[in-house]
Amino acid sequence: MSELLQYVFIGLGNGAVYAMVGLGLVVIYRSTGLLNFAQGELAMFATFGVWTLHEAGLPIWLALLGGMAIGFAIGAIVHQVVVRPVGDPHQKPLAVVIVTIGLFLGFNALAQLIWGTNEKEFATLFGNSEVDVLGTLVDWQKLGALGILAAEALVFWVIFQKTKVGLGMRAVASNPESSALVGIPVTRILMIGWGLAVSVGAVAGAVWAPTPGLSSNLMQLPLIYGFAAITLGGFDSFVGAVVGGLFVGVLTDVVPRYVDAFEKMTLAPAFLVILVVLLVRPQGIFGRKVVSRV
Amino acid sequence: MSAAGRLRDTRSIIVVSGVLVVVVLALPQVLDAFWTRRITLWIPLALAALGLNLLTGYNGQISVGHGALYGVGAYSTALILNEWKWPQLAAIAASAVICFVAGVAVGLPALRIKGLYLALVTLAVATLFPQVLEQFSGTTGGSAGLAITNQEMNRRGVLADRAIRVEAPTWTGLADDQWAYYVFLAVAALCFLVVRNLVRSRVGRSMIAIRDNEVAAEVSGVNVAIVKVLTFGVSAALAGVGGAIFAILQARVSSGSFTLVASLYFLVAVVVGGSASIAGPAIGAVAIGLFQDVVTPALPESVTPWDLNAKAATPLILGTMLILLMLAAPGGIVGSARQLRARLAVRAQRPADGPIPTPTTGGTP
Repeated sequence: MSELLQYVFIGLGNGAVYAMVGLGLVVIYRSTGLLNFAQGELAMFATFGVWTLHEAGLPIWLALLGGMAIGFAIGAIVHQVVVRPVGDPHQKPLAVVIVTIGLFLGFNALAQLIWGTNEKEFATLFGNSEVDVLGTLVDWQKLGALGILAAEALVFWVIFQKTKVGLGMRAVASNPESSALVGIPVTRILMIGWGLAVSVGAVAGAVWAPTPGLSSNLMQLPLIYGFAAITLGGFDSFVGAVVGGLFVGVLTDVVPRYVDAFEKMTLAPAFLVILVVLLVRPQGIFGRKVVSRV
Repeated sequence: MSAAGRLRDTRSIIVVSGVLVVVVLALPQVLDAFWTRRITLWIPLALAALGLNLLTGYNGQISVGHGALYGVGAYSTALILNEWKWPQLAAIAASAVICFVAGVAVGLPALRIKGLYLALVTLAVATLFPQVLEQFSGTTGGSAGLAITNQEMNRRGVLADRAIRVEAPTWTGLADDQWAYYVFLAVAALCFLVVRNLVRSRVGRSMIAIRDNEVAAEVSGVNVAIVKVLTFGVSAALAGVGGAIFAILQARVSSGSFTLVASLYFLVAVVVGGSASIAGPAIGAVAIGLFQDVVTPALPESVTPWDLNAKAATPLILGTMLILLMLAAPGGIVGSARQLRARLAVRAQRPADGPIPTPTTGGTP
């Protein structure tokens, strides 16, 4: 029983990372309507930014803030230079997929170009000690991840519900043309959306990196888990990303330990979630149903 | 375009393709054994890109997971050759059939999952596939790999396992590498011919109609479900043939060859060469082959003063090219060549100070 509890806590801690990846994906889906296959690689790149700042002597928390700023800039630039000129993702899905995959390959290679192919050790944000929760030893790092996720969810809620930028984002998500007509700076709003997404990604990367070590492949698995999370929760739902992320985290850490057939296929439960949800209920649990007219 | 112009155009196409055929056939005679083996490995890449192009370029179903189907073809061939000792070409054909069935199985859920979401599912498949190989490492050999061997009598007269190879019959007077190149080139040429005829047939027109407007195609009497699922099957079979040839050439399969990046490179080959064109995948495969085998080895491991790892420049260039092509020339190399030809034709035809005739050929499909 306590063994199961331990796996559940590990799952929740990892799930917090997937939820953060998912939050970034949702911000981009809501603002620009595309599935950002490069989200993981952009986040990885920003995480290398955190590492570099930390190596240069900044304390890890300050380095994290710096990395978030770098991530914000990268996201905004990528949107302006690459994503915006491509056009409407649902009219031209192939073009969007190709461009995000170009970003995927490009940023992965750029990270290898700059930082090499050797894995880097990455400092933990919460130290390496453990704490007793309900009779089970749990890493502070895992609990800390949940705390960061909660803080992020709060910040997102405040931004989207209480600020003018958030209001603009919701307006742009619902109807870009009308928003432009009433004077909302649509392009700037979308840039902020992309920036926000990559800076959340930097946090996800920094929380995740100590476990596997920092390399250019850091975010490839969390990306799929993040996608599974938002598929389950609904592509346009922040609540869905959080709930979905935690659920996928527990699922992928608990199932492979008890089911031999999944022992080495930790991705399989996440894949099944994506497939089954898209087949049965494409809008996910909390998502809005899209009605298309012919 | 005038009749004379069209004739000149046809003639120049014949001349260019004639020269290309001669060059392609002469390559193994000119190159040494090492380079012959290298360029032979471009053939499976071209075949996988051909299959992906049929699905994505002509039918509009986006797959980021063709590396997995390529892998299914490779492992089928490896197991058939190891367990049943079939002739190599028979194993390739059997792998094509197995992949066709796998493709149909993937194509069925793809009827409900479309566009970006299909790309998502196939991305997950591509990432999952190496884990599946690890899970069943008893059969697949996992990351250590599975050698494809044959029992052969060695010089001391003892039966021993030996890596398979493609053996040239003595009457040809060719080295084994040269023979392998010609045999697999012939297989590839056959596949390209089949696809060319397929896309020009009624079924091919249905594929394109579905890509351009699924509802309109259905209203016009196209059986959308059957065409889409069949396209998936044929596309997978072509990727499977590619994987099978890859396995035979390497005489070994391992999970490291079928990662997500392999799938992405197929997509790069399609886009760079030119989607929805017959020659595109081949041109794209050659472009990637040149980058991987010629450019990358020439790059230094470390560039001072910043200690940059220049070996990583190839995917960086490919990724950048992908984005630039999508923004500037979505037709890839073939599409750009078509546009260029149309523009030149217009210019050649324009009489001094006369009206500009509208081009009759070209444009992106």
